[in-house]
Amino acid sequence: MTHLIRAELVKLLRRKAYFLMVAILAVLVAMTAFFTVVFPRVAPEAAEGLTPIPKPDAYILGAQQVISQTWFPLILAAMMLGSEMASSFWATSLTREARRLRHVGARLLVLSGASWLAIAAAIAGFAAVVAVGAIGEGGLPASDWLKIFGSSLVVQIAWVSLGLALVGLLRAVGPAIGAALAFSFGESLLGLWRPYANVSLTANSTALLGTIEGGLFSQMLPSSGIPPERAVIVVALWTLFGVALAWWALAYREP
Amino acid sequence: MMDVVVDGLRKRYGATVALDGLSLEFPGGRLSGFLGPNGAGKTTTFRILLGLSRPDAGTARIGDMSIDHDLARIVKRVGAIVDEPGLLRPLTGRQNLVVAAHTLGFGHERIEALAEFVELSDDLDRPVSGYSKGMRQRLALAAALLGNPDVLLLDEPLDGLDPAGQHSFKERLRRLVDDERKTVVISSHNLSDVQALADHVVVIAQGTLRYQGPLPDLLGGAREMRVTVDRPTEAFEVLRAAGLETRLDDSVLCVNAEDGSVVSRTLAEAGIYPSALVPANQSLEQVFLELTSG
Repeated sequence: MTHLIRAELVKLLRRKAYFLMVAILAVLVAMTAFFTVVFPRVAPEAAEGLTPIPKPDAYILGAQQVISQTWFPLILAAMMLGSEMASSFWATSLTREARRLRHVGARLLVLSGASWLAIAAAIAGFAAVVAVGAIGEGGLPASDWLKIFGSSLVVQIAWVSLGLALVGLLRAVGPAIGAALAFSFGESLLGLWRPYANVSLTANSTALLGTIEGGLFSQMLPSSGIPPERAVIVVALWTLFGVALAWWALAYREP
Repeated sequence: MMDVVVDGLRKRYGATVALDGLSLEFPGGRLSGFLGPNGAGKTTTFRILLGLSRPDAGTARIGDMSIDHDLARIVKRVGAIVDEPGLLRPLTGRQNLVVAAHTLGFGHERIEALAEFVELSDDLDRPVSGYSKGMRQRLALAAALLGNPDVLLLDEPLDGLDPAGQHSFKERLRRLVDDERKTVVISSHNLSDVQALADHVVVIAQGTLRYQGPLPDLLGGAREMRVTVDRPTEAFEVLRAAGLETRLDDSVLCVNAEDGSVVSRTLAEAGIYPSALVPANQSLEQVFLELTSG
């Protein structure tokens, strides 16, 4: 399968759209970091009601904010595979390597990895803002950082597989990106509704990193109150569902 | 040289029957034209041969490899263009070939030679989005040849090419057969292209075989005599009365007859003597329409 992974890497690194998406993610995360960390501190009168989160909790809040950018893995998958569907490239690829599971696996690996790299860089960027601009003292132990980056990888696999499945079901780039956006924002909003939050992928993704008490920003995340042990199971089930759906839509159905 | 054999293929899409027990053979080391009207089942046949579609019944093989058991091996020995050239437009021509080479599991060593073969060396580092249709078709041919396949299955490869592009594309296909003894199958709606290019013809319609064999046999199989006389209307009635299928094309009689002597004898008995009696040179288009109608 290494030859297919190499092909995926060539395609990904030659696509300007990936780097454009990374730039958009960076801008969004920078704005979020400014309003959650810097703004309440430098302009407390204007930021009335926004309680600044102190270190080290601010690091976790930052990671949760970045992980909840679920549009990134979904649209990355929809855009990359959707353009292949639109140009008959997907079918042509199958005439060069017939084992479809390998194609799906290579795309899942490379796109999840690419999404995780962007998300991990964004988490690191947010952490830098926290280190410089947040109130309080202290940092997170290495084990917590490992948990943050490991969790974000699992979450990217889940969302990328759902994005691949959407393309496989819709067979077109435009509708797939539209459906990805609707799913991402719809799932996030539904996650604020307590009965659904228990099974929400967005809510359980952020809950993997624990619950930060206090402050408006932490309340805006749809994860508060979900135990991390339960979140692990829900995210794992969503990942299995996404991978199975992607396999059915891409490997089983005729292209 | 690998032949391609299809045996009893059936394929249904909902209520539509795409292939209805289709059996055919494309001989190895030859250039075969695969003809049929829209919806005849040509693309479906190619898709089944390449594992993109599963048949409801029947089987197919390429060389000694069955599509049921050896698909992974088959795709390594077959180069194909199906539906569209299948290129990534934001990437350059070279990057498309690199991706194709990786997907096949091969190195990049043939890229330069193939770019030269399809006359794209100077444009290889331009984005494919700026290519003309002919350039995209030639790049797709280069990609199909990357694995040095024994068999090429090309679906409408000449479609949309200008006359110069068609000429150079056909020349390359001919070289692949004459110099390298590859088995090349092209489906096409442009019957004159197939007539000028193919050694062997397979005609299908409504998912069933209508003809397969060497092209000269197909064209020679339908006989029509063109007869010039000074009293065409009277001669028309005489021939019809003698039971010969006849039509009047301007002032020339077109008679369906195996032997010209039957026509001249019938006319002579009525005191009509032809000034010219020649076999009509039937085009593939005429034969094709006869084979696929009804």
